[in-house]
Amino acid sequence: MLTLFIPIHKVKEAKTEITLDDLRKGSDKALQQVYEENRDKFLNFARRYHLSDEENIDVYQDAYIIFYDNVMSGKVESFSSSIATYLFGIGKYLIFDRMKKNKKKVGSKFDLAIVGKDDELVNGFEMEEKELTTEQILLQKHFGALGKKCQELLTLFYYRGYTIQEIMEAENYNSENVVKAAKSRCMKTLRERIQANNSH
Amino acid sequence: MDKELLLYRYFSDQLTDDEQLLFNDLLEKDLEFKAQFEFENDLKRVINKNQKQNLKQKLIGFEKEIEAKNKSISSKPRLKNWSIAASIALLIGLGWIAYSTFSGPDYDNLYVANFETYPNTVYTITRSDADQSLERNAFAAYEASDYEKAAAAFLDLKTQGGSAHTDFYLAQSYMHLGKDNEAIEILKSIILNDMEFKAEAHWYLALAYIKTKDEVKAVAMLNNLIENFDYKKEKAQALLAELD
Repeated sequence: MLTLFIPIHKVKEAKTEITLDDLRKGSDKALQQVYEENRDKFLNFARRYHLSDEENIDVYQDAYIIFYDNVMSGKVESFSSSIATYLFGIGKYLIFDRMKKNKKKVGSKFDLAIVGKDDELVNGFEMEEKELTTEQILLQKHFGALGKKCQELLTLFYYRGYTIQEIMEAENYNSENVVKAAKSRCMKTLRERIQANNSH
Repeated sequence: MDKELLLYRYFSDQLTDDEQLLFNDLLEKDLEFKAQFEFENDLKRVINKNQKQNLKQKLIGFEKEIEAKNKSISSKPRLKNWSIAASIALLIGLGWIAYSTFSGPDYDNLYVANFETYPNTVYTITRSDADQSLERNAFAAYEASDYEKAAAAFLDLKTQGGSAHTDFYLAQSYMHLGKDNEAIEILKSIILNDMEFKAEAHWYLALAYIKTKDEVKAVAMLNNLIENFDYKKEKAQALLAELD
């Protein structure tokens, strides 16, 4: 009788399907897997726009960051398209923007208003990163000087959109009240330091 | 309702419609509330910015890993490939020197060496189901290199009035289809009417003239491009040198 023998180590490990939840939980492994899975596709797509390879990689990273940011802020609640499609939509916008700022290379006068006109998928995504105001720069400085625990708590709340209860569960606090008190204390410290800075 | 709680519910995205109304009202009338809101909103923005910077660093790290992986995989065969490529280049080079010594410029080769499809820079196509407009179809065909279909669609658009870039992309499609005379007429009209893509039209018109072996007009067009525009300036100069 013929037996089919496949050495175990040669069976390709099936790729785990990355879900939106994995990304939202902040798993670095998911982050890297999604980055690698979509990289070549994106670079192939971007090549037709005649930017350099380094620029294309830079654009890919920026598109990825915008995508991730929108996953985090809840604008992407479920994948109505593949991740690559989101990245292409954002990427195209970023590439056009660069070409526009870099007119010499392309030399055309296209109207950016046309771009994304019919692109419902990434409509409402914030593509442009505004500069921080003076107050925000000061806030950034003092936020960076807070204790690690405070930074984590505030990041979970303001960036990840966790509720007090979710923070309690994720960070092993004893009760919601403890989380609330900790958050108030962090905010108070932050405000006091900024006030001290301003009065000097 | 407690103002603190209202802000909490705002930032954790839990406001009901009634609470939203109250929230808006306070934001307008209560200066202290407004200041508190702005403080928290600024903090949110700052944390967001920090996270993005962290993420960028992580991605740069992933990229380095990929680079390192590629290097270790391809370092040996690459050497071999290079030597093959170098030999081929040498052969081609020698052949070309022999050939060009005994003949004038090879228009077809010059055309092929210089013609690059102009990318779609005007119309975003990402969603396949929503919009089925003529413009979308035209650019989708263009991006898919289906120039027959693209030309037909751009021509329809043009007869319907079209927009400024329709003509340019119609000319591009014609060039791909070898309909050089049609392309030449459109490109000439773009330049004459001072339309969008004027600089690009000079370059592609020069190439179309090269393809139709009209060296005098090609040279004139390239000179015109170099004098008036920055677009493809260096390539135009190199091409002129080869035509001489």
